[in-house]
Amino acid sequence: MQTKEKIKNVLVSLLKVKPEELKDGVSLEESIGVDSTEMVESVIALEKAFGVKLSPKEIAKSSSIDDIAKIINSKISV
Amino acid sequence: MERIAITGIGIVSPSGINKRQFWANIKAGRSFIKEITRFDASLYPSHIAGQIDELNKYSNISERLLKKIDTFSHMALIASELALQDAAIDIKNEDPNLVGIFLGNAIGGWLYAETELRDLYIEGREGVSPYMASAWFPAAPQGQVSIYYGIKGFSKTVVADRAGSLMALGYGAKVLNKNKLNMILAGGMEAPVSPYALLCCNTYGALSKNNSRPQEAYRPFDKKRDGFVIGEGAGIVVMESVERADKRGVKPLAYISGYGTTCDGIDRINCESSGKELARAIKLALVDAKANVDEIGYISLDGAAINLWDDSELQAIKNVFGTRAKDIPVSCPKSMFGNLLGASGAVDMIVAILAMEHNLVPVTLNLDEPGLKGFNYITEEAKEYKIDKALVISRGRGGINSVLVVEK
Repeated sequence: MQTKEKIKNVLVSLLKVKPEELKDGVSLEESIGVDSTEMVESVIALEKAFGVKLSPKEIAKSSSIDDIAKIINSKISV
Repeated sequence: MERIAITGIGIVSPSGINKRQFWANIKAGRSFIKEITRFDASLYPSHIAGQIDELNKYSNISERLLKKIDTFSHMALIASELALQDAAIDIKNEDPNLVGIFLGNAIGGWLYAETELRDLYIEGREGVSPYMASAWFPAAPQGQVSIYYGIKGFSKTVVADRAGSLMALGYGAKVLNKNKLNMILAGGMEAPVSPYALLCCNTYGALSKNNSRPQEAYRPFDKKRDGFVIGEGAGIVVMESVERADKRGVKPLAYISGYGTTCDGIDRINCESSGKELARAIKLALVDAKANVDEIGYISLDGAAINLWDDSELQAIKNVFGTRAKDIPVSCPKSMFGNLLGASGAVDMIVAILAMEHNLVPVTLNLDEPGLKGFNYITEEAKEYKIDKALVISRGRGGINSVLVVEK
């Protein structure tokens, strides 16, 4: 599965948002109005799903799906 | 105090969600006490309750929000929405700075907390939902209602065991008297049907153990009483000044006209046996309402179904009402759906308002042989009485006494 699709699946099942609400190039804050607690939860869930370490500095409310995929891909390929 | 108008009622209870269904069941004297089915409670000394099984059917709260909140907040959100609808208020048209929330609760949101604490010990700290911190504590529903509607005015949650919600209503009415707010959502919510909360209620030692006959278990003021039965739910009303209700062209459902509260201050658990501090609270409420004892047409009893509590409650009524005590109809309708602890007083007030509206006093269930004689107990079936003013009594562990006068 593509990284982006997998990220979306994680966020949809975790945050109970609709898949179509998540847009590749739009920040999570803008697309789904994510709050800070949801961000903490999302970082932990993505870490588990991809087996990588992520910090809240790398992934924030202002990150888009594209941004998150880029960071995760760079960690997977290391 | 100046009378405060109640213009909307929101009720979420084992006897029904929304006031029409609720009143139909109360009027008919139906019991909703059953064996607990949410989890295996069979080893608890008391494993019966008034449970709400179909909360989601009445809710339009998103899945996204539901995973962040406990059931008691969910109940408060549904009850608030029902109250606003009943009052014909669109909250978007209100000044959010002048809307307040006053709620009562006793034990917090343990269905959520228990799951997360279990995960803490099994999975470690990363297994705990980050929403735990904002989901479990008694003021969480106040916060969720505030966020949901964008309410930003002065608000409070009262934690005073079973007296919390009646105190929240009294407190709210006092705040409206100061003209600091336009309107208030006030009442209470409680969700004690969870393994840990039920355990705490059991260790208190005040619950009925008559598990084999759930519908007969809660028998306040009856000789064979052995404690109360818990229930879950929420009762929330819209309160506003009489002038504002008039201006909106809304006929108030009732008025809160007096409030009194006292503490026994003698024991950590028990109340004082003569009921003298409760009597003082009743007198304070009557003076506050500028009402005399002859005007009270119905008394809604706390009815803990424990000898000490029931007898001291009746002593207090005798103390205040004298020879009239034997004539005023008294009842404890929560015997039908359980004691909603921190939400019990608000639900009792709602029942009293509906009783005034219909001039019908609902029954105390299972009151076959009174422990103390000399009172006009309404049993077997609801009885017609013209009620213009009613007294609602709500008491908490350790002897917290709160009394409200409502009128139509």
